[in-house]
Amino acid sequence: MKLKVNGEIYAFENASATLIDLLREREVELPEMVSVQLNGAFVKKESYASTRLEENDEVEFLYFMAGGGA
Amino acid sequence: MKGFSTKAVHGKSLRKDPHGALRFPLYDAVAFESESARDLQLAFEGRKPAHTYSRITNPSIEDFEQRVNLLAESLGVVAVSSGMAAISNLILTIAEAGSNIVTTKFLFGNTYSLLETTLKPWGLTARYINMEDTDQLHRVINEKTRAIFLEIITNPQLQVPDIREICRVAGEYAVPVILDGTLTTPYIFKSKDFGVSVEVMSSTKYISGGATSVGGLIMDNGIFDWEKCPKLVDSARKYGEFALVTKLKREVFRNLGACLSPHNAYLQTLGLETLSLRIDKSCSNALRVSQYLETCGKVRSVNYPGLKSSRCHEVAKAQFKDKFGGILTFELENKDRCYAFMDGLRLIKRATNLNDNKTLIIHPASTIFCEYSPEEKAAMGVSDSLLRLSVGIEDVEDIIEDIHLSLEGV
Repeated sequence: MKLKVNGEIYAFENASATLIDLLREREVELPEMVSVQLNGAFVKKESYASTRLEENDEVEFLYFMAGGGA
Repeated sequence: MKGFSTKAVHGKSLRKDPHGALRFPLYDAVAFESESARDLQLAFEGRKPAHTYSRITNPSIEDFEQRVNLLAESLGVVAVSSGMAAISNLILTIAEAGSNIVTTKFLFGNTYSLLETTLKPWGLTARYINMEDTDQLHRVINEKTRAIFLEIITNPQLQVPDIREICRVAGEYAVPVILDGTLTTPYIFKSKDFGVSVEVMSSTKYISGGATSVGGLIMDNGIFDWEKCPKLVDSARKYGEFALVTKLKREVFRNLGACLSPHNAYLQTLGLETLSLRIDKSCSNALRVSQYLETCGKVRSVNYPGLKSSRCHEVAKAQFKDKFGGILTFELENKDRCYAFMDGLRLIKRATNLNDNKTLIIHPASTIFCEYSPEEKAAMGVSDSLLRLSVGIEDVEDIIEDIHLSLEGV
């Protein structure tokens, strides 16, 4: 399955994957601090395990700690 | 790890120190290097949890924020440079020109000045009510109301509003409640349990560990749906429950530059560890001092929420159980008597600030409220005969002796 993760094309072997599978596969840092967007919409933490990914989905892992600088 | 003191001592660090330091180190640095140009880009885009620049994030500040978050059981915390920075950053995040904040004239003098002098010319208005009469909320909240703002114990009136009832009414209108919890901290009052949307505080006071440093905190309790705040609709769609914290971190707080110094974050983290011990002592001292003043026959009146004679005692007891804060007020005959009493003190310091380890005294009308007319002071409940005492953690007998000797002199 081909996804776009944080702006880059990513080939995910798991064909019936959920968001939680992707979080684990990508070894997302500090998962308690991350906000997940699927195709531009926020996904609640409790929905990660039940949210199935589809071909060409766009996923963003965003951290509120960062935001540009000097 | 359930107890407040245990959590305060041990914390819960997001990142492991590479050397296993038991105390999270002070990162007194401005900028942080990335492994690659791509990593630096990802950090700027918010796609990688890396520190870039200490005006925005810093490891020592992050550790402090995480510790406060654990103690408050909140959703997210933003540490800022002062309590006033917490209030101003938050208001500028949720309100816009033409909107209003519902509050009371029983406010810290600088907060009132922020609303009336600084923000009013930008088109934000404050609507003042008596928070003890929650029916007034129904009359002043309208579609332009962006928040209800109040203090947990008003300073220096020492009024204790019924927070649960105010939050209930606010809920009817989908308006967030912002509470300045400086005088209680989450140790005495867990604002989330009473329905408060966001708590702000001056961490300069109890948290700093004894007036070691200036700082402020914004704590989002994760209760309010920020899609109902017009300025945060887009942020809520993108970041869900993190809408407020993200808007602050990625825009308002970043752009205003009211960052906490890493050194202050380190000192305040130390302060958190002994917070419960110091609050226990200052509250028990304040109760003893207020009882002395009430029975000494030398003062016109005493006000302390822990006294049964306080108009707010029952509400305070329901909200705070057996700790009523470290601040009390009392009245002498007039301003001259107040000044003579202050000048007769040998141990207690003539200084502003609250919840220092040292006991401090101030005459609010001639200092914090000096910029206001007699009519405005009267509306704010600040009289010329009023003294405010911030009771510290000394041996209470010494505090009482100092007061006693000066009252005898007066």
